Amino acid sequence: MPEFVYSLQRNVCTLVCLVVLSYTNAFAQYSGYSPVQDIASFKKQFAQESAKVLSITSEFTQEKTLTALTEKITSTGKFWFKRSNKIRLEYTKPFVYLVVINGDKLLVRDHQKENRINVKSSKLFAQINQIMIDCVQGTILDSKDFTTRVFENGSTLLLEMTPISKSLREFFQTILLVVDKKDCSAKSITMNEPMGDITLITFNHKKLNEEIPDMVFTP
Amino acid sequence: MKRSLTWFLLLSFCVVLGCTSAYKSLKSIPVDATCVNKFASTRIGTSWYDASIDVTGRHLSGLVLIKNMPDSSQRVVFSSETGVTIFDFGFNKTGEFKVYSILKRLDRKPVINTLRKDFELIIGKPFRSNILTSWRTDEEIYFGVEQKGETAYFIMDKDCISLRRLELGTTRKRKVSVRIAGTGYPLPDTLDIKHYTFPLHIQLSHFQKE
Repeated sequence: MPEFVYSLQRNVCTLVCLVVLSYTNAFAQYSGYSPVQDIASFKKQFAQESAKVLSITSEFTQEKTLTALTEKITSTGKFWFKRSNKIRLEYTKPFVYLVVINGDKLLVRDHQKENRINVKSSKLFAQINQIMIDCVQGTILDSKDFTTRVFENGSTLLLEMTPISKSLREFFQTILLVVDKKDCSAKSITMNEPMGDITLITFNHKKLNEEIPDMVFTP
Repeated sequence: MKRSLTWFLLLSFCVVLGCTSAYKSLKSIPVDATCVNKFASTRIGTSWYDASIDVTGRHLSGLVLIKNMPDSSQRVVFSSETGVTIFDFGFNKTGEFKVYSILKRLDRKPVINTLRKDFELIIGKPFRSNILTSWRTDEEIYFGVEQKGETAYFIMDKDCISLRRLELGTTRKRKVSVRIAGTGYPLPDTLDIKHYTFPLHIQLSHFQKE
């Protein structure tokens, strides 16, 4: 058989493999999850249920994986949320770092200095601020910054968010938000970066709807 | 009279403050190969650093990973505390430099070149295969390598026991210094990078990952 026929056969095989792989990837990429069909009704129910979460106090573990470097770094800290628009994210180990969001005000404190920022001064700050708040208070499905697909298993919902704007696509390829079905609170957030690095934040020891003094969110 | 007095004052000011060479007091000496080996044979180890950057009145922070790869190349990755990768640079063993990724707003030649030179000093790239020259002061021994109109130095104490700092300068002017604190290489406690030609100050403090 001529060489070009062998070559053609090889190329066709490669093409078929690619098509099969991409099909598999599109429809079964989250093992154990199946797509939620009626998104409109789901959205309504999700909004109603997550509105019942008025506050969250939690610990968190953040694991950043530098894929190409086979390197991982794990950090831990505490997290507070109060409806509406108040978040405190406090890293305690192995470094100290604090982020406080209170409406339009943002405080960032590292081991040396602190910065107070009005998020209205930067479109990107405002977007990132809003994403954090939307993820926690269950309003992310209404966000115009992402296209969202929703999957579910017995106990959790998985929201796959793909950024629309160029500015956000530079930071994230997708963000995966896993939500506990029983109380509609976030279990974990995975940020997939365009170059393949992954940051997974898992919330542990969550306490819902306990009183949190406003002082905690003083920027 | 008044004009010549002004010129005299300006000249005096220049001589005292700005126009003297930072390296004028160095006395040339033969290169001590044993002393050179103490630094040149020690690579900075793989480690994480808490980074604090002050540039033109603005402050930002993050995490820096310096990693020695199995193929003898080195990678320097800067990310935010919350996990977003800001830049990822590679330095291979033949001296080639590669930008694996950088955020668009930092993707400017002067920014990349400045960071590249700073980290090349820290990983000791200029001192690997080039010809060194040596000088001394009463307190320190300088080893220098010329590269494109600049000289990269590593500076040992006078008894050649420990590395004091790294510098980059022209024949007259100090441009960058990297002060090394703690146990020194391969795992320094802190690296304090100061630029003298524009307001950039980077402090890296080593931390043990969990």
